[in-house]
Amino acid sequence: MVASVALVVLVLSASGWLVMLGAIAVLWVPAVWALYRSLSDEDRKLELLDEQGEIDTYSPRALAELREWVESNPEDPLAEEGKERYNDCVEILQRVDETFYDRSDKEIDSLEKL
Amino acid sequence: MADTDARTVREEWGTRFGFLMAMLGAMVGSGNIWRMPYTTGQNGGGAFLVAYILLLFLIAIPGLMAETVLGSYTNRGVIGSFREVFGRGRAEGLGLVVVLVTVALMSYYAPIIGWTIYYAAHALLGTFFEAGFGPEAFWSSFSGSPLLTVGMHTIAVAAIAVVLAFGIKRGLERVVKWTIPILVLTMIVVAARGLTLPGAMDGLAFAFTPDWNYLVRGQTWIAALGQALFSTGLGWGIALTFGSYLRENDDVPLGGGIFTAVGNTAIGLLAIFVVFPVVFAFGLEPTAGSQLTFVSLVSVFPQMAGGPIWAILFFVGFLFAAFSTGIGVTEVAVTTVAEETRLDRTETVLAVSGVIWLLGIPSAYSAEFLGIMDFMFGNWGLPLATLLIIGTIGWKVGPERIRVLALNRNSDIHIGAWWDSLIKYVIPGVMVFIMAYYFVTNVGASTFRTVGGLVLMGALLAGAVLLMGSVRRGGSEPTETDTALGDD
Repeated sequence: MVASVALVVLVLSASGWLVMLGAIAVLWVPAVWALYRSLSDEDRKLELLDEQGEIDTYSPRALAELREWVESNPEDPLAEEGKERYNDCVEILQRVDETFYDRSDKEIDSLEKL
Repeated sequence: MADTDARTVREEWGTRFGFLMAMLGAMVGSGNIWRMPYTTGQNGGGAFLVAYILLLFLIAIPGLMAETVLGSYTNRGVIGSFREVFGRGRAEGLGLVVVLVTVALMSYYAPIIGWTIYYAAHALLGTFFEAGFGPEAFWSSFSGSPLLTVGMHTIAVAAIAVVLAFGIKRGLERVVKWTIPILVLTMIVVAARGLTLPGAMDGLAFAFTPDWNYLVRGQTWIAALGQALFSTGLGWGIALTFGSYLRENDDVPLGGGIFTAVGNTAIGLLAIFVVFPVVFAFGLEPTAGSQLTFVSLVSVFPQMAGGPIWAILFFVGFLFAAFSTGIGVTEVAVTTVAEETRLDRTETVLAVSGVIWLLGIPSAYSAEFLGIMDFMFGNWGLPLATLLIIGTIGWKVGPERIRVLALNRNSDIHIGAWWDSLIKYVIPGVMVFIMAYYFVTNVGASTFRTVGGLVLMGALLAGAVLLMGSVRRGGSEPTETDTALGDD
């Protein structure tokens, strides 16, 4: 039994094992993680929507980027829409008790509409 | 943008799981099962996998994010999305090209789905285990009978039409929520059985032992590129169409990009575990492609203990993989035609299915014709569709705009500025390169097909653009809303 297991192990070289296990690690692990994360985030969003009727739409980093983009591109045809989306998110953050993205109260208080 | 109005009347995915399975189901097809294993084995085993995974992360994942977010942002099918970007007029023809390519793709994929239905039915009937059964004779009698091949093509198109007639939530989503998990489970079970066969590890050694010399060969990278692009369905309009049915608070990058591309490849990896142990345990030819599935594997199931069960699991799983791709690809045309005409959903499904069935008869009748279609649309049509969609996002919409406004909205992960240059330069550049490479490598050996394919695609492009220009001539001029998305 031990010999047959050893034979099975030896058929595949060390580099073969490395590639096989590496491929499983970089494909199956992220796939399962993405599925789990996506479904659990969905549950969280639905829970917050049920409780509050609305949720914050941008993460802190994404919201800061949106503000920067709107301020840097005031002539862009979509600048107005960007501004609306930014302001909507800020208003929601100021209204809701619980946020979807991690934020401190201090951060929320410091946000200003465009 | 008129997305608020559109959302109130447009169908949406019922669950997040449904959307994820639909994306995965559309991208996981027969190619994952019969192409991925031998492409890996032929191109340096582990070395190919390294190249493939690198390109998957560099191109397929960002590209799928871009395509999905365009659909999600516009809430439109393919032609409608191009209209949102370019305005009414000729440029809508670019969207029409994508739709026509997917219809052409389905016309020769539906007969293949027909093959899988036929084999799954015979696996269930136990035909492969009857005394005197010969797999080659069985395949020849099937493929040589127009009545059977056209008949199975008809059944495949009809089955797809029935599913799609029920709509996104009650039809497509309901089916893939069951078929894809069952596909994965059957593959895991068959792989586990295969790995216990004597000699199975030789198969894994063939597939995974890296020959690093292959990493410096251009052919390895081309094969990896082809697999990364074609097996993930990037730029075929599927991700765009499915993205257009996302709900307001749904994420795009994690589900539409990472899960779809990585999950699809994870199933391709699983296919290696399914196919190679059996191939090596029974001394089959690993590079036989479709023959491997329909002849070689059929011959080994009777030799395995519990063979009927393994045959049923394998062929039913295979059928689910092919069928879910069929409904995904057909939905691209159904969504667009329903939006662009006055037909209701059922009428649209009947019209699109009818066209696919009619165009598919020559491919069902003749394997040679199917090969020509695959050569032309696989080598030229699909890369052209990808180039049109990603090129539009990269050069007309502007990757930074859509990323900041839409991609990172409600997103489960943050996508940084690195994404912009991949969409604007890298993916379009790669598509142009791969088409040029195919031309150079094929023009000598098959001049007629190669030049013919290019001429056909050129004619398709010019015809679609002129047609839309002509159709819209009497229509309204572009409005600000129509073109706002395209004024980057």
